[in-house]
Amino acid sequence: MGVTDELLKVDGLVVSFATEEGEVEALDGVDLAIREGSFHGLIGETGCGKSVTGRSIIRLLDNNAMIKAGKILYKGEDLLKLSERQMERRIRGNEIAMIFQDPSSSLDPVFNIRSQMAEVVRMYHNARRESYDAIIAEALRSVRLPDVESLMHKYPHQLSGGMKQRVMIAMMLACNPHLLIADEPTTALDVSIQAQFIKVLRELKEELQMTVVYITHDLAVISELCDHVSVMYAGRIVETSAMRELFKNPVHPYAHKLLNSVLGVQTNLDDLAEIPGTVPRLINPPKGCRFHPRCDQATEICGRERPPFVALDDDHHVACHTR
Amino acid sequence: MPALLDVIGLTKHFPSPSGAVRAVDGVDLQIHRAHTYGLVGESGCGKSTLIRTIQRLLEPTSGQIIYKGQDIAAYKRAQLRTLRKEMAMVFQDPHMSLNPRMTVFDILARPLQIHGIARGKDALTLRIVHLLQKLGMQSEHLVRFPHELSGGQKQRIGVARALAVEPDIIFLDEPTSALDVSVQTKILKLLENIRKEWELTYFYISHDINLVRVVAEHMGVMYLGKIVEVGRTEDILRDPHHPYTVGLLQAVPEPDPDKPLGELQLGGEVPSPVNPPPGCNFHPRCPHAWDVCSQMEPELRMLSAEWSVACHRYGDDARAAPSR
Repeated sequence: MGVTDELLKVDGLVVSFATEEGEVEALDGVDLAIREGSFHGLIGETGCGKSVTGRSIIRLLDNNAMIKAGKILYKGEDLLKLSERQMERRIRGNEIAMIFQDPSSSLDPVFNIRSQMAEVVRMYHNARRESYDAIIAEALRSVRLPDVESLMHKYPHQLSGGMKQRVMIAMMLACNPHLLIADEPTTALDVSIQAQFIKVLRELKEELQMTVVYITHDLAVISELCDHVSVMYAGRIVETSAMRELFKNPVHPYAHKLLNSVLGVQTNLDDLAEIPGTVPRLINPPKGCRFHPRCDQATEICGRERPPFVALDDDHHVACHTR
Repeated sequence: MPALLDVIGLTKHFPSPSGAVRAVDGVDLQIHRAHTYGLVGESGCGKSTLIRTIQRLLEPTSGQIIYKGQDIAAYKRAQLRTLRKEMAMVFQDPHMSLNPRMTVFDILARPLQIHGIARGKDALTLRIVHLLQKLGMQSEHLVRFPHELSGGQKQRIGVARALAVEPDIIFLDEPTSALDVSVQTKILKLLENIRKEWELTYFYISHDINLVRVVAEHMGVMYLGKIVEVGRTEDILRDPHHPYTVGLLQAVPEPDPDKPLGELQLGGEVPSPVNPPPGCNFHPRCPHAWDVCSQMEPELRMLSAEWSVACHRYGDDARAAPSR
């Protein structure tokens, strides 16, 4: 992977949380390289650390989180070295924006859409107050929302989940960021609304050349949108590759099982792969490869040493001793 | 053979300041013994209300629920207790449906005691351990509290609680939607094995067509309080007839990069059940709607012995209307 086209590079990121039971290492050395203009999927099960990775990039972690090691290089600059004030002024909104799973809790119920978006426009646009409405309408139209003039004067409770999520995207577009982090944006939506949302994102991708880190547990959504995918397991990236390559040729045993446990048009329950055991609790993670207790190909070394993240080719990296 | 459960014209309306919320609005369905039925629909279509009303956890507004030949919609309060032993339910979110202050033993002992199936600590323990083993758990879990269990283990307890009373029919409300995919497969396989062994009848509700595809022999599609299409799962998924079913199937993304979502037929959003559109509920979103659709409500008509659709395109009046 050429260094020049990397917009974001996460290097050996370690994040832990202080909890009542002790320190939980949510991320244990995460490496990611996001190319300019790409849709990069981050997939994994509950608690694998995908949301923590997203929130670390934009530095919106909870108070009990500690970033213990690593770098987050955005356009070559380490975001972890910036002050909170610099993050707020220069990075959040201007450069990197994030949308969350539940649009209902991301919008303020006591302000109408126009005033919430006007705040964004005031902060991120050098525009006269008279032109706010035009900018807001334009942003709302770009996510294919109908009847934007009346929509602007509505309150969040008057909109459906799908519309609220599109308003969130419009708000994010109004900041005009280079990088969008989308954390399970369609999980709370119905399939028909999700399908409309996917279409809008696909069109925006072509129009705006946006770079997106797309966090989800849904492989089907990844296959609709992403060019690259990283698979996470128990706080580590286990495999990164081009999206098509991962679907065709998953190398890590976990990635392989995950792909085969997804409900698709297979009609037979017996064909679905099972992964024995459960996701380990990170308060006391397994030694060596964290997947080894559930892996049917594990050998002695897997329980002893952490597998290095090695390149199979320029575009395909995997952390597994059996390869 | 008569159906185990025969629901006829069931409605459940909730009062609201702006008029009745027609959550379930004239539903007919039959479920046969030892079969699995899957009901698919988007959020707010009334599927959860429907299965709660069938179980008399909600009072039906009108309609009949013929269960083993008796209309349980007319049951008095005292008669409901026998029903609670025959119909059980597995809830969507195992994190919310288990009492956090009760141990696994207490959670599973409750239904056994209430229905007098087992009495005394020894008899209860014996039965509960047997149940746990059936679900791939061990006696060491007896003393655990829900927060000490993983999501998959919690849902196994949810299933064990439903099985404890040895019901005839189990209603499963999105039993795997709160679980990760790797856990989902195991729960589904476990449920299927138990169903075969105990000859149980399952009634799944889900928003996930792919889930219904793998578990259910027969399926129904619900939209805004009504069933719009019902039949063998295989038939409907191969050749959906109702425009809503067609649209819904098109909107489901495939986990295959070579099969991207095509042109979407299903635009707009589900209207409010307080003031549903006249005629066919679906006509404002339907790409094939013609005049009659906004005037007359289509009945559920049989296409074949096991396949019915509520759409004017397949009715007698279709001849008079423009070709599709």
